[in-house]
Amino acid sequence: MVDEELLVGAVDLAVSQGATYAEARFQEDLSDFVLMRNGRVLALSTSVVRGIGIRVLVSGALGFAATDRLDRESVSAVVREAVSRARAIAPLMKRPVEFDESGVGRASYEVVPKVSFESFGVEERVELGKEAYKAVGGALRETKLATFVFGMRTHTQRKLVISSDGAYVRSVVPRISVWANFVEHLPERGTIQRYVDFGASGGVERLKEWRVVDELVQEAQNLEKVLVSGVEAPREEVEVVVGSEIVGLVVHESAGHPMEADRILGREAAQAGESYVKPEMIGRFRVGNEHATVIEDPTIPGSSGFYLYDDEGVPARVRHLYREGLLYEPLHNRHTAKLFGTASNGAARAMDYSREPIPRMSNTYLKPGDMSFEELLEGIKLGVYMRSYMEWNIDDIRWNQRYVGLESYLIVDGELSRPVRNPVLELTTKDFYSRIVGVGKQLRFYPGTCGKGEPSQGVPVWYGGPDVRLSKIRLGVAV
Amino acid sequence: MSARDVAEKVLGGLKERFDSVVVKVVDRNAAMLKIWNSQPGVLQMWRDVSVHLLLGKQRRVTVLEFEVGSPEEALDAVRRIEDYITKVEESELYAEPPEPKEPAPLEGGYDRRIVDHLSDPRPLAEAMVSSALSSGAERVAGTLELEEVEVAVTTSRGFDKAYRKTGVTAHLRSLRGELSSHWAWGSTQLDVRAVEEVGSRSAGLLELAKTKVGFTPGRYDVILSPLVVGNLMNYVASMASGMAILLGMSFLLKKRVGDLVASESFTLVDAPRDVLLPGLAPFDDEGVETYNKPVISAGRLASLLHNTATARMFKTSSTGNAGWTNPRPWNLVVEPGGSTFEDMVSEVRRGYAIMNNWYTRLQNYVEGQFSTVARDLVLAIRDGSIEGYVDRVRIADRFETLLKSIRAMGKEVYDVTWWEVRIPTRAPYILAESVNLTKPIA
Repeated sequence: MVDEELLVGAVDLAVSQGATYAEARFQEDLSDFVLMRNGRVLALSTSVVRGIGIRVLVSGALGFAATDRLDRESVSAVVREAVSRARAIAPLMKRPVEFDESGVGRASYEVVPKVSFESFGVEERVELGKEAYKAVGGALRETKLATFVFGMRTHTQRKLVISSDGAYVRSVVPRISVWANFVEHLPERGTIQRYVDFGASGGVERLKEWRVVDELVQEAQNLEKVLVSGVEAPREEVEVVVGSEIVGLVVHESAGHPMEADRILGREAAQAGESYVKPEMIGRFRVGNEHATVIEDPTIPGSSGFYLYDDEGVPARVRHLYREGLLYEPLHNRHTAKLFGTASNGAARAMDYSREPIPRMSNTYLKPGDMSFEELLEGIKLGVYMRSYMEWNIDDIRWNQRYVGLESYLIVDGELSRPVRNPVLELTTKDFYSRIVGVGKQLRFYPGTCGKGEPSQGVPVWYGGPDVRLSKIRLGVAV
Repeated sequence: MSARDVAEKVLGGLKERFDSVVVKVVDRNAAMLKIWNSQPGVLQMWRDVSVHLLLGKQRRVTVLEFEVGSPEEALDAVRRIEDYITKVEESELYAEPPEPKEPAPLEGGYDRRIVDHLSDPRPLAEAMVSSALSSGAERVAGTLELEEVEVAVTTSRGFDKAYRKTGVTAHLRSLRGELSSHWAWGSTQLDVRAVEEVGSRSAGLLELAKTKVGFTPGRYDVILSPLVVGNLMNYVASMASGMAILLGMSFLLKKRVGDLVASESFTLVDAPRDVLLPGLAPFDDEGVETYNKPVISAGRLASLLHNTATARMFKTSSTGNAGWTNPRPWNLVVEPGGSTFEDMVSEVRRGYAIMNNWYTRLQNYVEGQFSTVARDLVLAIRDGSIEGYVDRVRIADRFETLLKSIRAMGKEVYDVTWWEVRIPTRAPYILAESVNLTKPIA
């Protein structure tokens, strides 16, 4: 992986230069990518991003430096620079940065693919893209497949984190993802567009579980119905059943992000924003009803957000962000934990060697209930089921959010009826979590890349949940 | 070893093994001071050399990116792909590297003072923060970023050039009670007064807010600040990329050059040869000379953005916008008009001025259906005067509808780069009519 003495030397040097804390993280991200359009190869690509990120605490100021030059001389030069520059800004600190006393780990772990990436070579990857294009195009009866873009990526992430507080964590996590973006066209009704992706940690065995081609065909056929015969959503207040794909996104955006402690404290104010949550609201403010339990768990085997120790070496564990409607536990790194007077819960993550570790989500989901899909629909005289989405956004305090349904249906007398085109669910965080009246029992996860920080960092996550039923919702219509 | 030396060394190691080779090397020395709650959060520094390769063999194409510290390691890593590149079919994107031509020089994009401040960005950050605090902010957050970059491109056809540039980006959010406002600036030249103005302008805008007023969703006349214009035009210009068209990721897919796509008062230029904007480049990633060109001229689609490969697919010529797989804009300039912000306010009977936005997402790229959320100040305007403020409304419309609804362009332009405006953009305030605004209704 890397000569660990290089990292040990960097940490020792930083401490000898006056750092009260030093952490050296080697990280290598190796990715292979196939991009295809309409069943033909556009490009193959490979990226190898490898280097060392060094974080130092000097006189209460935090410095971070990164280099891809892995010789002792270059690393030492970067360490010296990090220490001296951090020292230079220390007089500006009104409140010195301190880390909590969390225990850090000494461990080594590796996710071992059952089927290696190498065993599914570029020819097989291209063949999968061709098969998907052919199957989707052949499955449409009334609409034309205008564009079908297919991508597949395999990614292996290797890390070694060593800190002056005793952390030593070596890890290897492979990840695999497949995505497609397609446009269906019907001259008299315009177009409909869908981006769908599959992602997990592990190896090529995931492809079999995902049934990529079958799933894409089903998606395309369902969207064909929406394009051909979709009607407007009802204007009156109705019951809405929100599919797990949207529920997952909702909890990521409106439970995960607002419960990141650095946002709550204002550290992201000029970038990804702050939070409607203030420190004094934790454990006191009720954002939803008894159905509103949102869980964060980096330890789910096979998940995109999988890790066992965070990038400060703190052991990962399950966190309850919202518990039965109550704001419960923010996501912390060691710095925010100190400011909250608590211990880190192992949420520090960095995208690659060149980024600082900050509080991030991993795998976030709404706790499932006990209802079947039919039970969720039961008794609804008129409603809408929103299964998937394309457009979404949320404000910078994570309160006012919008999701535009893609595959959606009317619910009439407890059963799915005609497709609905572009229904808009635009509501506040409190509205969503307070209006849940039924929770499905089937928990599903979806992959995503979560963005935050400056420079921006995208980290792999899962978000998920069951289908839920919301009461008294007034839907909009996209223009 | 300079970026050009690295590029030449990598090219030398590959040109016998592939039919075509393009090497781009970026050597970067950068620092960023992140500020929150009016104090430094972290000082970050980077020293890295990234090696990017576009390799062709038997009309197959592969793109590689390495941050591995040395040319030897990049060359080693290439061996892995040599085994498989010819196993796949020919690529639609294959194109011979262009015949090398001498690009016109581009002077003025390098400022030694920025390099000098790399080791100590503190005085600049202090100037920005204190300017905001003395202009009415209770607390501030933002970043100050400085960088020195050397870019080298060599090709197997014989192109071999490098250029250096510097960049400074400053953006600051001023907060007071429940109000906030934001300003941003980006340039290749250090201008301490401009850095201070980021602070004073961001805090000064707070003074425009009076009392909070109600909001009802609907269509309104809307003034968009240069930050909002920058964000939205980043999307529009990126959708002019030939690759965005090919991938079905553009509302311009249904348009032809010459079609009316915006108000006749609107012109959007891709400006790689504007030496004040940090995205400048004398030549693109294939060594093709860049030139400034309108993407939209007086409301009409004027040019898509191409590299050699997408140009071949569209039966045209490269526009000097490589990006190997994806052609992209370098800098954006929205041409000014004749109005002041005050003129625009006075013209609005019932509308809003949106001073910043984020989270622009599309329901359908082909149709251009999008929404974006206002953050920071949204000023409510009634009968030509600012009446108060509302918070966090959302523009939910179509790009073409919005562009065609432009009624006035500001005469003063601002150079903007920040988290939500990644492609440096020079833009004025814009007044558009009948823009769809939404917000959750309790």
